[in-house]
Amino acid sequence: MKPVIRIDGEVVSPVSHNTAVEVEPGVYSILVEGSSYEVRVGAGQVAVGKRHFDYHVDDPRQWKRSGDAAGGQGRAAILAPMPGKVVRIMAAVGDEVEAGQGIVVVEAMKMQNEMKAPRAGRVSSIQVKENDSVVAGGVLAVIEPAVNS
Amino acid sequence: MFQKVLIANRGEIALRVIRTLREMGIRSVAVYSDADRASLHVRKADEAAHLGAAPSRESYLNVERILDAARRHKVDAIHPGYGFLSENAEFAQACVDAGFVFIGPPASAIAAMGSKTAARKIARDGGAPVVPGTEEGLMASPEGRAAATAFAAKAGFPVMLKAVAGGGGKGMRRVDRAEDLAANFDAASSEALRSFGDGRVYVEKLVENARHIEIQIFGDQHGNMVHLGERECSVQRRHQKVIEESPSPLVALHPEMRQRMGEAAVLAARAAGYYNAGTVEFLADNAGNFYFLEMNTRLQVEHPVTELVTGLDLVRLQVEIANGGRLPFTQDQVALRGAAVECRIYAEDPVNNFMPSPGRITQLAEPSGPGVRLDSGVYSGWTVPLDYDPMLAKLIVWADTREHAIERMLRALGEYHVGGIRTNIPLFEVILNDPAFRAGELHTGYLDALLKRPGLFDLAPAPDLAAVAASAVEIHAKPAASPIAEPANGGASRWLSGGREALLR
Repeated sequence: MKPVIRIDGEVVSPVSHNTAVEVEPGVYSILVEGSSYEVRVGAGQVAVGKRHFDYHVDDPRQWKRSGDAAGGQGRAAILAPMPGKVVRIMAAVGDEVEAGQGIVVVEAMKMQNEMKAPRAGRVSSIQVKENDSVVAGGVLAVIEPAVNS
Repeated sequence: MFQKVLIANRGEIALRVIRTLREMGIRSVAVYSDADRASLHVRKADEAAHLGAAPSRESYLNVERILDAARRHKVDAIHPGYGFLSENAEFAQACVDAGFVFIGPPASAIAAMGSKTAARKIARDGGAPVVPGTEEGLMASPEGRAAATAFAAKAGFPVMLKAVAGGGGKGMRRVDRAEDLAANFDAASSEALRSFGDGRVYVEKLVENARHIEIQIFGDQHGNMVHLGERECSVQRRHQKVIEESPSPLVALHPEMRQRMGEAAVLAARAAGYYNAGTVEFLADNAGNFYFLEMNTRLQVEHPVTELVTGLDLVRLQVEIANGGRLPFTQDQVALRGAAVECRIYAEDPVNNFMPSPGRITQLAEPSGPGVRLDSGVYSGWTVPLDYDPMLAKLIVWADTREHAIERMLRALGEYHVGGIRTNIPLFEVILNDPAFRAGELHTGYLDALLKRPGLFDLAPAPDLAAVAASAVEIHAKPAASPIAEPANGGASRWLSGGREALLR
């Protein structure tokens, strides 16, 4: 049974007549009807020349799934993308916030990064305070759907 | 000439200096923190000295440990690179006191220009126009906030808050409304304190739609000083330069500006008793008026742009001048040729709000070919550390005209692939294709405005490319153990090739 390949979320069939050569680990030279493509495959990412795509393989034999952790329409956690230090809290528990509104500012790699609400709603908890150190993936705050939405 | 030089820095600039030292037959000593043991500058240096733990205070900002390393390795001179201790007058003096030549300006000139407020005084007294601002640096105290508020009320909004000890956009804030001033003032001050150990901030009237144009100057210890033309650095994000080029498209329209700015830059530098490499930054408007902004008393990140249009090696000149040499040319002999553009390649994701993207580089394809220079500090398999600035490399191109240089840069960016982490390469493709950038219609707010455009990074669907991508993914995802029946290996059966190999044994 062939694996199902999704490119940027869409099921895509490979080109039927092609010659592919792996020229370096993860780098493929593919010729299709006289056109030459260099394709680079990494973890969940594939680049054809300058064009980058996300990919996902649904292989019934492997059930190896990636990503999609955010899911669900209800609560949304704001996670620290990398280790850093909390420099500012920009919202309070109970605040109604817009999607994209800054909630917590984390300093990492000498840059201050505003961690934004992924969706509109109400701030149900803030799990850090100023000057806290956070680890990658640590929960900073949780947004819940506003009561009357 | 020096026998051995220590580079008190890391990353691409350390490697940049090592390369020139090697050309000059001088041994190089790299320094490294725990996070940088496997970094490229350590691999490429002749000698290397461990400084300490990853935090800069315990390594690249630690004067005593750097001087210890210099003593252990018996070097003659120390090159500070840019950032870290490069504009720290105490470090420059400590090098000299310990018996090492500091490859840069004298400590007194660094001190004079290092305080942005003092530098403004020197420039104004020397006759260069300056932007209105507070005379003194202000602390994040009730008095400081009051003085900032009073200046802003008099000069009118918007204003800029800047760290007195500043550089690299740290501790810098634009403020548009009186009610935002206090919060921004405190934030700028705390950022300045963390970055420079000095929380003083001053306030300047914001020159709207100004261009950032800077002049490279060079002086020797015998009183000779020249300028090497301008670089335009108006494409900035959060006050950090993103693209630099020479000539400036504005100066190309007003050729007399180059000489006027060059003379003003040399006057300001002379007033501070300056020698070695330095850069005088100006704000300019489209009518050709310009104002002294500040002086950077170091080799700049973007120095390769000047190297490509002048044909000079600025690091070699720095070393020769530090060794007591004379400038080998006069102002009349400085000739600018063609156009150069630089893109700063960062480990950050422009599509996701420029989130820093540290991590392991799993694949690396670097551009080359005609007119392409890559000053890089990374390699495939290296992990970009969290502890430092996320700049990976500088891609610089040269061509006969600006238009050709931009085309060349787009071609080179297309050859550049960094796998495993995100980079800002897609940002450059957007900027370099933007008609306003192509026309040279730049100002320091240009990029922020461009980034507000919706769908900036959206791409047209490309079903053909998606199918090609799927073809590679299909082969790649195949478990290694299963036999390959696709024509990926030219259609030959594994049994057949296995049998042939057996016969050859």
